[in-house]
Amino acid sequence: MRIACPYCGPRGVDEFSYLGDATLKRPDPAAENADAAFHAYVYLRDNPAGPHRELWQHASGCQSWLVVTRDTRTHEISAVEYARDAAIASAGAE
Amino acid sequence: MAEPLVARSALRPHVAPLASPAGAPGVTLVEVENLSLAALAAFKGREAELTDAIRAAFGVELADGPKRVTANGVSFLGTGPGKWLAVGPAGTDFSTLPAAVTDQSDGRSVFRLSGPKARETLATLVQIDLHPRAFGPGSAAATHAASIAVQVSQLDDAPTYEIVCFRTFAATLWRWILDAGLSREISARHAG
Repeated sequence: MRIACPYCGPRGVDEFSYLGDATLKRPDPAAENADAAFHAYVYLRDNPAGPHRELWQHASGCQSWLVVTRDTRTHEISAVEYARDAAIASAGAE
Repeated sequence: MAEPLVARSALRPHVAPLASPAGAPGVTLVEVENLSLAALAAFKGREAELTDAIRAAFGVELADGPKRVTANGVSFLGTGPGKWLAVGPAGTDFSTLPAAVTDQSDGRSVFRLSGPKARETLATLVQIDLHPRAFGPGSAAATHAASIAVQVSQLDDAPTYEIVCFRTFAATLWRWILDAGLSREISARHAG
């Protein structure tokens, strides 16, 4: 599998470290159902068969954190973006 | 009495052997000494300020990408978004630049690999595409060679490559390059 780093260009997956699900949002600790929300946030994961947004770091390269949209059935990568850009876009959408 | 600080090579003859081929060398490996190195990280939103300061101080037009730009003997290698590795002759002062500047002069070792078989020698160690259409003079890449983190850049069409690694890995990387070059008439010398 190769990931097209926005800075370095396409590189082998051995240069990257995988963190996990990029769709998680930290719940509001002041909310009434905070215990249940944090339990879900920390422990409960979907296991989708299909496109999945996940966090990777180009650890052996430019060290950028990336959000990679990968099809878990075929490993086809449809989008790679800087995690910072994704976070800014997501904050702007709210 | 305080011992004076002396810059010494990380390579010693028993850990980083020398090599000289019987005939003409196909590839030459040397250690570059007496350098001043610094890691630069631009402050958030102040990249233009750093670009201006580097232009004024060194006459170098900073590139935003995995590139190596050089002027007046001072080079800047792109190592990541908003990050560069500055390389200049010993005594070059990068500390006044408007960025997070970390001196790396005693933390890195710098090798140069050149000659007609330099490309195929390096290609046995790194997984990036070194074909001239993908990687030429002025190209730079942060990657790994034999699992050792390196910054590779190309200087000219000889081709000459510069390889920067952390000092503690220098002897191991040297041996890897020597092994890769033994079947390619490698000539290797260092000052250790």
